Parts: sequence; C-alpha cells; structure tokens
Amino acid sequence: MTSRKNFRLGFDIGGTFTDFVLIDEETGRTWLNKCLTTPHDPSQGVMEGLGPLFAQASVKGENVGIAIHATTLITNALIERKGARTAFLTTAGFRDVPEMGTEVRYDIYDLFLAKPDPLVPRNRRYEVSERLDKNGQVLTPLDEASLRDVARALRADKAEALAIVFLHSFRNGAHERRARDILHEALPGMSICISSEVAPEIREYERMTTTMANAYVQPLTREYIDIVERGLKEMGYARRLYLMMSSGGITTGQTARDFPIRMVESGPTAGVLAAIYFGRNMGLDSMVSFDMGGTTAKIGMIKKGQATKSNMIEVGRVDRFKKGSGIPVKIPMVELIEIGAGGGSIAHIDQLGLLKVGPRSAGAMPGPACYGRGGADPTVTDANVVLGYLDPNYFLGGAMTLDVRAAHEVFEAKVCKPLGMSLNDAARGVFEVVNQNMLAAMKVHIAERGEDPRKFYLFSFGGAGPAHAYELARALQMRGVVVPPGAGATSAMGLVTTAVSFDFARSLVSRLDKIAWSDVRGVFESMTKDGLAVLAEAGIAADAPGVSIVHAMDLRHKGQGHEVTVPIPEMAFKKGSMTDLAQLFYDAHREKYGHAHTNLAVELITCRTTVSAPPPAVPLIHIPAGAGGAAAALKGKRQVYFSEVGAYLDTPVYDRYKLAPNVRFAGPAIIEERECTAVAGPSAQVWIDDFGSLYMDIPPRKPNSAEGVMNDVANANA
Amino acid sequence: MSLTPTLDPISIEVQWNRLISVMDEVDIAVIRTAFSTIVGESRDFAVIMLDRLGRSLAQSQLSSPAFTVTLPATTKAVLKHFPVETLELGDVLITNDPWLGSGHLPDLSIVAPVFYKGQVVAFMGCVAHVADIGGRLDYFDARDLFEEGLRIPPSKLFIAGKPNTQLFRIIEANVRVPDMVIGDIRAIVGAEQLGAQRLHEFLDDHGGGDGFAALTEEILDRSEAAMRNALRRMPDGEWRYALDADGFRTPLHIEVKVTKTGDKIHADFTGSSDQFKDASINCVPNNTFADTYYPLKCSLTPELPNNEGLFRPLTVFAPEGSAFNTTMPSAVKSRSKSSFHIHVAIYGALAQAIPQVVQAGSGSFWAITLHGTHPDDNSVFNVHILPNGGKGATARMDGLPTIAFPYNGTVTPTEITENQAPILVEHKKLVMDSGGAGLFRGGLGQSIALRVLGDRPIIASIRPDKVRFPPPGILGGLPGAKGAYAINGKEVPVEPRNVSPGDVYTLVLPGGGGYGDPHQRPIESVAADVRNGYVSPGVAGRDYGVLVDEKSGTVRRVPQDSEVVR
Repeated sequence: MTSRKNFRLGFDIGGTFTDFVLIDEETGRTWLNKCLTTPHDPSQGVMEGLGPLFAQASVKGENVGIAIHATTLITNALIERKGARTAFLTTAGFRDVPEMGTEVRYDIYDLFLAKPDPLVPRNRRYEVSERLDKNGQVLTPLDEASLRDVARALRADKAEALAIVFLHSFRNGAHERRARDILHEALPGMSICISSEVAPEIREYERMTTTMANAYVQPLTREYIDIVERGLKEMGYARRLYLMMSSGGITTGQTARDFPIRMVESGPTAGVLAAIYFGRNMGLDSMVSFDMGGTTAKIGMIKKGQATKSNMIEVGRVDRFKKGSGIPVKIPMVELIEIGAGGGSIAHIDQLGLLKVGPRSAGAMPGPACYGRGGADPTVTDANVVLGYLDPNYFLGGAMTLDVRAAHEVFEAKVCKPLGMSLNDAARGVFEVVNQNMLAAMKVHIAERGEDPRKFYLFSFGGAGPAHAYELARALQMRGVVVPPGAGATSAMGLVTTAVSFDFARSLVSRLDKIAWSDVRGVFESMTKDGLAVLAEAGIAADAPGVSIVHAMDLRHKGQGHEVTVPIPEMAFKKGSMTDLAQLFYDAHREKYGHAHTNLAVELITCRTTVSAPPPAVPLIHIPAGAGGAAAALKGKRQVYFSEVGAYLDTPVYDRYKLAPNVRFAGPAIIEERECTAVAGPSAQVWIDDFGSLYMDIPPRKPNSAEGVMNDVANANA
Repeated sequence: MSLTPTLDPISIEVQWNRLISVMDEVDIAVIRTAFSTIVGESRDFAVIMLDRLGRSLAQSQLSSPAFTVTLPATTKAVLKHFPVETLELGDVLITNDPWLGSGHLPDLSIVAPVFYKGQVVAFMGCVAHVADIGGRLDYFDARDLFEEGLRIPPSKLFIAGKPNTQLFRIIEANVRVPDMVIGDIRAIVGAEQLGAQRLHEFLDDHGGGDGFAALTEEILDRSEAAMRNALRRMPDGEWRYALDADGFRTPLHIEVKVTKTGDKIHADFTGSSDQFKDASINCVPNNTFADTYYPLKCSLTPELPNNEGLFRPLTVFAPEGSAFNTTMPSAVKSRSKSSFHIHVAIYGALAQAIPQVVQAGSGSFWAITLHGTHPDDNSVFNVHILPNGGKGATARMDGLPTIAFPYNGTVTPTEITENQAPILVEHKKLVMDSGGAGLFRGGLGQSIALRVLGDRPIIASIRPDKVRFPPPGILGGLPGAKGAYAINGKEVPVEPRNVSPGDVYTLVLPGGGGYGDPHQRPIESVAADVRNGYVSPGVAGRDYGVLVDEKSGTVRRVPQDSEVVR
C-alpha cells in the first residue's frame, strides 16, 4: 500500500448508476467501478462503491489527493419538484413576471400547450417598494420597514428559501443586499439568494427564474454536500470535496453551496471534459462530442481545447425534448444538446404513413425486443442487430445474448407489415431515421455556433455512439470519427482531468463609445477578484503558474435583438481601446454571420470572466505495441448493411482489445469491445493511435456544384 | 447516392426532416442577425421553403403561423410578374403589397430563387414585420392604403446578385428607422442565402431537381391525405356562429357558416361587416384564408409539419367588398383587429362538432410602439412591446395567462424596454378575475403601466382590442374580462399621442374565455384560484357558485339555483 497522496477520485451519481474512477496522477493508471444509485441516500451508494474501488487499487482514503463529484441531484430535484418551500421577493408591481414569462408559445399548433408551473406559487411571491433606473440609480428607496411584514409572512408560510430579484439589480445590488441582510436577521435559518450574486444579467424574467431555482435547490444541496463530505471522511478522505459545475470547471463545496444551480447537468458535462482531455493528449483541439446511450444522444462542441459554452439552459421541461417548454436558467454552461435518440428509441408509423423513431424509449426495462425481456416495440438496437452492426453473442462482451428472433418479429409486425417493406429495408429505415433526427439537431446546433462541421472529428462514446458515429460524420462531411479507449466509461474520466475554474457574468448596458474603459475594467476586475477568491478557497494562489483569467463581452449592433459573446484577448484588454473592442465585435459578427455593419454603434450588454487553475497533468497511458497488424485482431466476418453503398457487405470483425498502435485497415469493418461496437463504413480509413484510440478517417467529398448560391448578396453595398 | 430517387416512406421521412432542419438553420440566422426587436425578439416572421411553383414545403418550427399560409400565395403572385424562367442567379424578389402579401405594408415578403444546375428548383422565402414602413403613426385612422406607408410592388431587391440600389434608397428614404429596416432586410437575404447553400447540399445528396420535385409531390399529397382523413373522422354538417368585435369607430360583425362534407370543409363569411372606410382594419383574402386555416390545423393535424398540402381541403368565401375580402385601396394596417377574431368564429361554429379540440376566445396581443428622441443622447428610438392577454380555455386545461394566440411572439422584457426608451414600467402584473369562468378557466390578462421619463414627450401608439367586446367563452364558459387603457387614470381615444414626461399610460389586456359550465369546476380548483389571487372570493361565489372563506379556508358549493350575493 502506497503512502502517496496523488490519486484523484471522481464519482458521478447518475439516475441509475453511480460511476467511480480513480486515477494515479503519476502514471495515469485508472481503476473503475460502477454500482447502483441509492436514491433515498445517495451517499450510501458512494460508500458502498468506494470500498471495492480502493481495494482494487490498493489505496486508502488518505492516498486520495482530491475527490471530485458530479450528481443528478439538482436536475432531479427540479424535474420532480422536490426542492425547498421557496418564496420570492421582487420590486413592487412585478411579482407575476415569473408566471407570465416570455409570452411566447414553444409549439405554435398545440392548443393544449402546457408551461411548467413557476417554482414559487403566486401566494408566496412578495413585493416591496423600491426602484432603480436602468443605470442603477435609486428612483424609490427600499422600504425597509415593510420588510418586517414580509418576514412575518415568510415565517407564517414556513418558507425554507427565498429568492430576491429587483429590477436593474445587475447594475446595483445594494437594495437586494440590504433586503437580504434585513430578512436574514429576522429569519436566520432561511436560505436567501439574491439575483445580483446568482445571475447579474439583464432580462428580468430569466434572472428571476434563475435565482428562484438556485434558492429552490440550495437547502437540499447544502445538506447533501455535508453528508457526502462526512461519508468521505469516514473513508479516510479528510480533504475538501470538489464539485463539477455545468460550466465545465470544478469548484469547492462552499461555492457549490452558494450557487447550487450551477451544478445542474454536471454529469453529462463531464463527458465533454473527457473529450477535451483525450483531445489534448491526442493533439486534437477541436471536436464535436457525441454521447449516445439508451434514451438520449448528447452533442457538444470543443474548439481550441475549450468546450463551447452557452449562457442558458432550461430545467424541468414539460416536454423533455421541446425547446422552450422548461424554466430558463441563466448560468454558464458547457453547451450540450440532448436529442431523444438512443438505443432504446422506439420506431412507429405516424399519421402520414411515415416511419418515426423516438423520442419514446424502451429504456432499460423492458428494453429493446432483442433483450428478450418482453419489449414489444421495435427499437434502434433491434434495427442494429438486424443490420449486422451488433453481434447478438457479444453484447456487453457476451454477458448477455440478444434474441434476434424477437427483434425480427417486432419489426415484421410493427414496421414491415404496415409499410409493406422487407425486414432489411425496415431496419435500414430505423437506422437512417434516427440518424437524421440526430443530424438535424447537430446541424442546427453547429449552425448556431456559426461553425463548419467539415473541420471537426466526431468524438464518439456511450453505449450506442460508436455504432452511429460514422454515418453522422459522413453525412456532415466531417474529418472522421474518434472512439476513445474505454468508450463505455468516458464520462467519468472528465471528472478527474478537469481544472478548478469559475465563470462570472455581469451586465453593463451601454454603447461602447459612450462609456469609459475604466468603468468596464472595473466590472472585470471585480469579477476577477471574486474568481481569485474561488481559487484561493481551493488553495490555489493568484500568482500560481498556469492560472488563467479570460474576459469576454456580449456585444451587439445597437438596436439588434441578440448578442455575440466576443473573447477579449489580453493585449486588447490591456490597451482598453473602445474602437478596438468594437472592431473585435465586427470581426466576430462577420465570422459568424458573414456580415457586419460597421456604420452602426456597438452596444455592450454583459461582461464575462472565467478564472481557472491549470488542468491537472494526468498522463494518458500508451497501449503496448503489438505484432501481426490487423490480422491479429480479426475475429471473423459477418454480413453488415451500409447505407453508403445500399447493400450488405461481407465485413471483417475486429477485437478492439487486440488492436495495437499504428494498425491500419480500410473499411468496411466492425470493431467490438465490451461496452460498445464501432461501425466503420466502406470509405473509412481505420487506424489506432498510441493511446488505443480508434480513428475512422473519412476522405473529403469532391467539392460539388457551388452554383446557385447568391454570393455576397448580403454583403454587397446598397 | 443514386440519381433515381427512391421515395419509400423512409426516404421521405429522412429527406423531409432534413428540409425542416434547413429552415430551422435559416430561422436561427434571421434571429441572430436581425436588428429590430420586432424581428429579433418578438419573432414576428416566418421562413419557408417553396418549390419552383411557389408551393410551400417546409418551414422553421417557430415560424409565425399566418405568414406560412400567405407566403405561398404571395410567391405565386410575384412569379406572375417575374416568371420563373426569367429569373437569374442572385435575384431576390420583394413585395409588401397587402393584396399579394400578408395584408399590410410592414410585412415584407422576400423570396429568393435557388438555382441548381442552371434551373430554379425552389425558393427560400421569408415574411417579416419590419419596424417601420413610413405612413401615419396611428394604427387605425388611415382613410386608404396610401396613408399607410410605402408600397413596394413585386420588385427585384437584388438583380443577379447586385443590390437594386434605387429600391434600397427608396426604402431608406421612406421609413423612420432605416438602419433597422435595412438591417433586417439584409439579415433576411443573408439567411436565405444560407438556406440556398443548405438546399444545394441536400440536392447533391438526394437526386437533384428531379428528386426534389418527386419529394415535393409526396410531401404535399401525404399532408393533404392526412388532413382529409382527419376531416372524414369529423361528423358532416353545417354550423354557424356570429360575434361582434371592437372594430374601431364602429364594431366589426363576424358571421361564419362552416360546412363540412366528407373530406372537404368550407367557411363562408357572408353576413359579416362591409369593409370599413374609416378604420384600417380590413382583411385581404389571404388573411381571411390564413386565419381560417390556422384553427383547423391546430384542431385536426397539430403534430404534422405545416405545408400547403394541408390547406388543400379548405375553401373560404367572403363577399367582395366585405371586411374579410376588402378591395384596393382600403386601409389595412391593423387588419389583425379583424383577422384575429376569425378563429373564435370558427371554434364557435365547430364547438358542436368537435368539442374536444376547440378553444374559447383569447386576449391576444396589443401592439405598443414608443417612438421619439432619447433624452440621453438625442438618438431616435423606436421600441415595440407586444404584450398578450390570457389564452382561452380548452377541454383539457385552463387557459394560460398572458400568452400569444393566435399570433406568436416574445414580449420585450421590461429591462430591455427601459434601456431603449425613456420609459419606466411601473408595473406588469396579472389581472385578478380577468379569466372567463368555466369548467376550465380562461387565462388571466395583464396590466402594464408606462411612465414617461426625461424632459420631452414621446409618441406612444397602441393597438388595443377586446375593449368593447370581451373574448367569448365556449360551451357554457363565460367570457374573459374586457381590456382597458388610460393616461393618468383617464380614458383616452386610441390614437398616437404625445405622452408627456411624468404621464402614466396604463394598459389592461383582456383575459381568455372559459370552457364549459363554471359550476362543474371542481371546488378545489376554485379554492386554489382564490388562494392564489387569480379569482376573488366574490367572483368564486357569483360565477362558480363556490363560497370561499379566506380566513378559515373553508369552501363550499352553493346550490345552483340559490341567489348568491357578492
């Protein structure tokens, strides 16, 4: 048993499973464990899983230098409405805004469209007389006396948490702070969150919902972190617990207690961070990450070693896959889009006589028909069996045998017969339709980022990802597909390879040419100070090597409805020239949309700062060299369907574990490992790198007829 | 990909889905690059893909519904002026002629041909409500179309890739906020260019122009068949409904007779008001058709992607010279004051036939435009706020409070309004008792108070509705509350007015109508409404027959025939 203290522990509590990863920071050696989540007391599952993991690695709690945690707790509390009894206090005249929302319908033809109930019902939403103008100047002073009545009502209401949101408080938080202090004194046990700290950004509705969501999950998060920390202590780990944030950084338990809403969807975020880690080692700094499991597919983007971020997410959607049907939360997020497409997605025929797939999923129980557990609907996994992508005798490494006949039968009954098509055509159809669903979402997503998919590899993991990735990458004309080693446990790797980091945002609305740089710099400096305090919390000094401070501004043409987040390079920040900053915006706008209007003034909306420690230097292990090339890994051949050629081909099947570095072969090919199967189409060039990552390169398509496009129309000067 | 397209149900699904995703990309490009709040934040636009005959195939998922019905008609009309064979690569067509387009001048229809192998195979189209089109600032008072602003007959906005400079200059010279209007036009053209590129890639993958033509027929025919099937499942019959709406100086009377036979449905507006000479609320036939189609689509085929095939089983008649088939040069600027009531009439008629899928009347939106020079820097501002009343109740649920219907759009946030105009929003709140009583209650309307800041008056134009005649209830539900507006508490005529510093303009938007008998509403639902302040104890007693004692929290139902005193 070692006395070293540089093991990193990550654990991710998901809906069904809790995943553990332990990594030796020195050698990069990893140990994994998985156990069932214990929803009544999640810490119990953690303790049960840690014992075997530590034993396997011959370490004790005290050898662990850092423990990092991701959890679905917050997400679930919001979906299941199991948060605190929360109240809300706002500027007089505006308590209904959280209920009125944006007033838009997210589905224009649905008469029965439902919206999520606000987290705080109307009878717990209070008002106080106070008012700031758009510059944060006081128009009406805070009516402190009336807060006593509010305190009384809150007590009578048995409120456990309170969100305070005043208009324009992102410009001046004094009223919010004063109201908090007064109420805190009256009600010392209550969690109080103020919007000028939680989400100091313009647009009151989103600021209200965000602050309310933070207050709503705060009491249970505090209690939960305490329990987990205590449990870890019992296991011999006495240091601080770190938590994964949705923004892709890790932070201390204290910061997570203050801003629990920032942990929403932290588990899936870890998958993107894992992709960044592998990419960093493999020399790929830009990729699209693609994680396809049983029910959903999640897609993220990585540019120059950074995950693309968004500033908003919806929680607690009424309709899981309908954008706009949830409660908006304004927090920095690693951007992930979730599509109702997974191995369990069910195929059916719609009103038009067309084949649809998903978003309904057979889940794990009963699962696809081929699981032989009574699943009576044709699913994507069933189609993949028919098409030859999956070997029924090597599912989960042979731990489970798939029932091919059951798959055929449900297809015959529910797809072939109604559509009058052959089994193979029906299965091909399911594969193509589910792929198109993912492609549509991916394309729109990539377009929203203003990016060109042809520049990227598709980094593919999750149980079903590597089987679908090739077709997606081919349709988007991407460079190819990368499947990391151990693609079934990729996400957890993100926890142990990520840096301490925190994101801040503060709105400051002004034309660039009407504001002094010193005022803008002041906002950035105050956020930087807060960020360095977060690092100090984690024991990282401001002047430690590799600490990075990155600034960005949300800018727009004056009068434009939406902003573009423009990173501010260090030089530009030092120089502080408003003209240069405006030029940065015009350039960014042009890059993203092909045009910019340099005759229009540039308006600043929000300042953003990210303060990060350097990522831990965890090495990625090289796999041993092998002899015999591809032939040594050949398991056999089977008939596999490829859309590219519209036919079944006699296709070699390889054992992933026997593929050594630098082995190369051409598609078509099937590469099998325990948790997933990779499918390489006929045009793929497959090779293995030193780390055991599997590449499927796709040759670029010949440029097609470019005629018919209105070149430069939008840019031409009128 | 093979050159001969295979159009089995799978290829159709895959390709159709891809066309919709192309339009979603175009939509994003418009939103992200638009200038005006009305396009960028309020989403008052639609983007649509049409075939070479101008038939609509695919639209973005959040396209404003009425525009998606008018644009195919507009495109066909524009192609009469510029036959498809004469179009050149890089041409972009435009019109805002109300009779060809979507019924009033601020809606620009902009259509760009997509060429493939030297042939026009499709069009990328957009209808967008721009921030200004010149003309009078008021919403109602124009005596004819010529007072309402700049009319652009079918024209080329770009000619073979070059901007039609003269036309751009004419537009610039005729609108109050040229940067915004030209900015929006360019955003649209740029977005359509992106759509053309995407469609090109699609055509490369899926059999070029021939494949596309075959796909077009499949999409239209299958959609048409689905609508006809839905109609067949509905009983045959003839149903009538009539209602009065505010109109302007005089009310608007709407009468409709809906006749459904087999797989066809016809709406006849004979008996409705004649066109108005003194109010800009006349509807061109395109509007009447679009707003008759919309409720049918929502009731009968809500999940199907929208396209022209679904329109085919519907025919609409309104006598020429009536408010629903107005003739040139009638004033039309605020035609939605009329057209937005059409769905209420249709649902009123269909309530007997398909009660499970109709909806009571909704509060709908009021347009508010604030215009002037900003005291901070003397720059011109022009801000649209499009708040909504409550939605009508349905057979399954209470109406949502303050949400767009039948139009769709986002309200401008208070903090954005205050950053753009010298305005202080004193309150924005729900109005108690504004939702019509019913088994399902209508959605609550809202009250907004705007105080003018600074040292100079601003011009405020509002377009209210349902101030005289409230949104009706349905199948026994009661109407929602009427709207109201006032300056400093005093009622004022609706006309654009200088509102002086310190003045407070208050707007109360109507609530939605109720569905079904209010006395059937579960007593717990009524009690919850009282607890939350949606319904007062008095109204709970009067309309629902439920007595709620707020202090003790007890509730009891009053026998229906007993006299309830408020």
